[in-house]
Order: sequence, then C-alpha cells, then structure tokens
Amino acid sequence: MNIIEIKNVSKSFGEKVALENVSLSIPEGSIFGLLGPNGAGKSTLIRIINRITIASGGEVYFKGHPITQDDVAAIGYLPEERGLYRKMKVGEQAMYLAQLKGMSAQDAATELKKWFVRFEIQDWWNKKVEELSKGMAQKLQFITTVVHKPALMILDEPFSGFDPVNAELIRKEILRLKDEGATVILSTHNMESVEELCDQIALINKAHLVITGGTDEIRHRYGEDNVELEYTEGVERRQEVVSRENVNARLQELIASGVKLNSFKEVVPRMNDIFIKLVTEEEA
Amino acid sequence: MNISKLGIIIRREYLNKVKKKSFLIITFLAPILFAAIAILPTIIMMGTKEETKKIGVLDRSGLVTPYLENNDVTEYIFLEDVDPEAVKTNLKEYGIDVFLNISELDTENRTVTADCYSEKPLGMDTGSLIENRINDAVEAYRIESYGIENLEEIMAGVKSNVHLHSYTVDESGKETISESGVYMAVSMILGMALYMFIAIFSGMVMSSVIEEKSSRVVEVLVSSVKSTELMFGKIIGVALVALTQFFLWIVLTLAILAAAMGIMGKDKLMGMMGDSETAQMAEMMAPGVNVPGATIDLESAAAALTDTTAVAAGEPTGMQAIMGTLGNLNVPQLVISFLLFFIFGYLLYASLFAAIGSSVENEGDSTQLQLPVTIPLVLGFFVALYAFKAPGSSLVFWFSMIPFTSPIVMLARIPFGVATWELVLSIVLLVATFFACAWASAKIYKVGILTYGKKSTFKDLWKWLKMK
Repeated sequence: MNIIEIKNVSKSFGEKVALENVSLSIPEGSIFGLLGPNGAGKSTLIRIINRITIASGGEVYFKGHPITQDDVAAIGYLPEERGLYRKMKVGEQAMYLAQLKGMSAQDAATELKKWFVRFEIQDWWNKKVEELSKGMAQKLQFITTVVHKPALMILDEPFSGFDPVNAELIRKEILRLKDEGATVILSTHNMESVEELCDQIALINKAHLVITGGTDEIRHRYGEDNVELEYTEGVERRQEVVSRENVNARLQELIASGVKLNSFKEVVPRMNDIFIKLVTEEEA
Repeated sequence: MNISKLGIIIRREYLNKVKKKSFLIITFLAPILFAAIAILPTIIMMGTKEETKKIGVLDRSGLVTPYLENNDVTEYIFLEDVDPEAVKTNLKEYGIDVFLNISELDTENRTVTADCYSEKPLGMDTGSLIENRINDAVEAYRIESYGIENLEEIMAGVKSNVHLHSYTVDESGKETISESGVYMAVSMILGMALYMFIAIFSGMVMSSVIEEKSSRVVEVLVSSVKSTELMFGKIIGVALVALTQFFLWIVLTLAILAAAMGIMGKDKLMGMMGDSETAQMAEMMAPGVNVPGATIDLESAAAALTDTTAVAAGEPTGMQAIMGTLGNLNVPQLVISFLLFFIFGYLLYASLFAAIGSSVENEGDSTQLQLPVTIPLVLGFFVALYAFKAPGSSLVFWFSMIPFTSPIVMLARIPFGVATWELVLSIVLLVATFFACAWASAKIYKVGILTYGKKSTFKDLWKWLKMK
C-alpha cells in the first residue's frame, strides 16, 4: 500500500512554475529518496505533502484518502534549514513542538525523556538552545521530528551538520524507525546514502519528474550491461570491464592463459553517475 | 482553526513574554513611577513649606501693627524704643529672624516705607505676605482720610472676585459642573495611553514574527499548524500580555498610593493637595482610597490618578470642581470604550505588523515597510492631541471614525462626551476593518514567512496577497 500518492500535482508561484504535473507513489514502510538539483522543485513538493503550501492542481492522497490538515499530525518534518527558538529552554522547546503535533503534555514528556537519554543529551533539558553546540541542536531537532511517532517522516538533508559518529547514529535511527514500520522520505544530495538506504527514488529536475522507481532497478536499467573482471597475472593485479556479450569468450581466453581470477561482477552504475547523466541530458 | 493548537501557541507566546526580565522590570517599575508622579508634588510642597519666622517689627507709623497677625509662617514681635541700626545687626540678641522696619507716616504722600532685614533671604511667600499686609494698612488709612462715610464698605463692595464655573447641561436641563482642564488631562492621558499600548504591543508581535522567521523555526511550526493559527495565536498571546500588564499597573499603582497614604497620613496628604477645601476633600476621598489591603474600585482609581495630575500641572482649580468634574465622567463607558478600542485597535495594527514582520528577515529591514502602517498611528496621536483643544471639531470627528486613527482619537474625545451612536459606528467600522486587514495579513503572512533571499517590497506583498 502507498502511504503517499501524488497525482498530477502542479504548483506555480505567479508566473514561476515550481512543479508541473508530477505523479509519484511512496510505498508504506519504505525509504524513499527524493533527488534533484537545487531549485528543481523538491522543497515545493515536500511542502505540498505536509500541507505548508497547497498545490495549484492535482491531488495528494494520504493512506488512500485525500490528505487533510489532520493528517499532518502523522508526519514528521525535518527541514533543510534547521531552526529552533534560540532563547527558549531545550526541554520547553521540545515539549512545545511535540504538543503542536498533538501529543499530550504527559506523553510528550515521557517520550522526550526517552529520546534525550538515547541521544545522551538528558543533561541539557534546562539549558537554553543557544547554549547547545551545532551537533546537539541537530540532535534536538531530529528528536522533535520523530518524537510523536509519525507514520511518515520527511527528512531534508538529515546528515548535514553531523560529524561521522553522529551521522551514523542518525542513520541507524532511520533504519530502526523503518523497521518499526515508518515510511521515510529522504531528500539529499548525498548519493552514497541514497544507494545505501533508499528502496525507491524519484528524480525531479526543472519542475518535472524525470524518473521514479526502485533504486536497484534504476541502477540496473542505466547500467551498460558490463562485467568487471579482476585477476592476477604473475604478481600483477589487473582489472578490466567487458560487455556481457563478450564476457564468456574473454573468460575462456583468460583461463587458457593461466591467470588467477579474483573477482567477477556486474558493473552497476553509481547513483551519482545516473544523477549527473540524467540532469545533464536534460540541459542539453 | 484548531482551538487546542491555538491554545498551545497562545500559551507559549504569553509565557515566553511574561517571563522575560524586561517585562517584569517594566511591570513593577512603572507603577512606582506613576505613584511617584502622583505623590511627589505633594511631598515637594510639604518639604518646601517655610518654617515659622519670628519677625521683629518696629512700626513707627503705628498704622501697620493692627494688620500684622500671627499665622503658620510668621510670628510678630513688636519692638518699641529700639535703635533700628542696633537691631539690624544683632537679630539674634533680640530673638528674631527678621527685622521689619516701618517708617513714620509720610503725610504728604500718605504712605510709609518699609525695610526688611534678615540673615537668610526671605522666601517669596513671606515677603509678599508682609507686603500685602502693609498695603492693606496703607489703603485703609487712605480710605479713612477721605472722610467719606461708609467709604470702606463701598470700596469693599467694589472689589470683585469672579471665578468662572462652567457647567455642562443635558437635554433634561440637568446641570453638571465641568472643568475643561480636568477633561483635557483625562483626554490626553487616554489618547496617549492607547497610542503607546498599540505601538508597543503590535511592535512586539512584529518582533516575534521576525524572530521565528529569521531563526527558521517557522517552517517546522507551519508543518504542524496552519499559518493563520500561528499568526493569530501570536497576536492573541501578546494581547493577553498587554492586558496582564495593564491590570498589574493599575493594581500596583493603587496599592503603592494606598500604602503611601497609610504611611504619610491620609489627611495630611490630602490636606496638602486640597488647600482651602481640606475637610471636604478628605471626606470625598475617604471612601475611595483606603489603607493597604482594602479593596479599591476603579472609579476612585481614575479619580486618584487624575486629580494628582491636575495638581502636578499646577492647576489652581478648586479641588471641589475637579472632583465634581471627575465624578461626572461616565466611568463605565470610559472603561468599556478603552478596552474595546484598545483590543480592536491593537488587533488591527498587530495583524498589519505581523504581515510586515513576515516579509522581512531582520528588524532593520522592516523600517521601510513599516512606514505606511506607522503613519496613521502617529497621525492619530497628533489628532488626539488636538482633540482636547477642540473636541467638537469636524476634523476630530472624522478621525475618530476612520478606523486607523479612531481608537486613539475617540478615546481622547470620550471625556468630553460622545454620542452613543458615534461610539457604536466607530467600533463597528474598526471591527470590520480589522477583519478585512486580518484576512489580507494572513494571506501575506502565509507566503512571507517562507520567503527568503531578496528584500521584499510592497509589490511583493501585493503579489502574495493575490496568490491563491
């Protein structure tokens, strides 16, 4: 089942078209990568999904019904531009945002305390936000995004601002939340994390959808059907890429010549290369 | 609107502002200042009262002596057969502070000359007191010297002492005493208070909007609540802050005044204020201002505040007339009008300032966009200043109807009496304008809070307003 179904959504600001006829399906329980160059329309699409902006045309369905304001309580949103009230105390701030998502004060306090312990920031509850380090503020922001156990999380560049240790912490949390049944929309320029985390992706460029589908499927689709061979000839390690048609012949040749074969694998293009290829093709 | 979320937003906005140090300081210091303004003139008067002076008098004319009577500040000691030169240089030996040397009667010019000697200069009050007495004596001598029967009575009959008492008359012919000075003071205070309250608290809304936008927290907020809920939650929250402050100011000022009366003695304080009508004054004030802890009603609060203003301004008006005039003010109408005009005037301006705040990223950038909103506010203030000079003029009437200036100007008009239909019409226009502006502001706000980058202009705001 799809948690989000976007049908022919368009949005324009005055004369500027931000989205044109975009249709997407986001399966429940998946991690969905939303890719695209800066200014492509990703942020607009995200804002339409969580009802910050209303589409000029088309429909958005949430769990099968047209999305309403009440559904935003089931969405957690981490915007790319992070921000908290600087003068407010950490705990009060987190309580406020959790209550705005519809949690009772009591539930919010219990859940927040758990998260604060998990992220090791429990001592900061009564400190002011402006006293936090950037990494700690990011942790707090992540907590406020997920504390109300949203069915859908929209994370815009969730790893930016984290050191590798904390980025790993966030990555694990995302996977854990997915295991618990949550759906994640991940908008990022970090293609490695897309390959690693995303089940499905959509690429948006210049206000329209370029491609959407399973991550593996797309990578294979854009592969050139090559195989990479690695072998040792004497003491030298060698690599070569051979098209699948010629691979059998080449293998026989190599075996006959007496080299040691180390590995044999299909060449799948990097997400990064596909991104660049598709976006630059559009430019041309 | 989701009421529970609106409540959460209002609560945060309210608590956040009320817990600020600046709020606490202003809330608790201002009443001390108000009370000081009310009490200080009295204390100053008390402190500057001259001590009783012993005045040695050598009256060689024999004319003046009967006119010199002892009072609070002067005690006369009549000297005979002394050498003026000796007394003059040895005041202490004679046990006097001042030596008054009156010459023999100059029969040709029918006058006397008088000189005063003292170590410290004579106060103006004492000097003119003595001078008046001598003049009285000389006048009496001159009248007598004409030898006309009953001339003294005739002269006394000629002297006039007219004070203009003004009354307002309603249709039933009921007369009420009115002192325009008192109305002017009340009018000015009301107009100024409303102007300041609207300016301060709608400015507070704008800062709060800018804070959320520039810290970028706003995007998270609007992913949880509607932008209109956020905007109105903020506006209502700040309104509650204003009402809290207003209420605390009144209560604290009255408490301080009451405490001061308790410490300094009510009669003494009142006596100083009241001059000749001391007794009446004290009686009139007695039910209103009580010793600390007692309840104080609003009517006497207004009275206590305003009568002291008149004293501060040095109005020589009789206290009775002032109190009478204040008693004539329609206090319930005044209080209800003040609250209604403040609330809707504030709501109108706060929604406009919220729209402006949403379109800028820092306070500095807001100056230019604020101008069209600030101008009517300031204009209202200036017309209000004119209102107490000419409360019935057509200019003042129209400005008390135009919604952007009406809260301030109408409040300044009310002490002089405003027809109910005018009040109702003005309020209705104000409320209608508020709804129109709030609708427009909400549309601008919705787009503005998420627009970053280039500085916004009125053209942008107009574009956002038309956006679907």
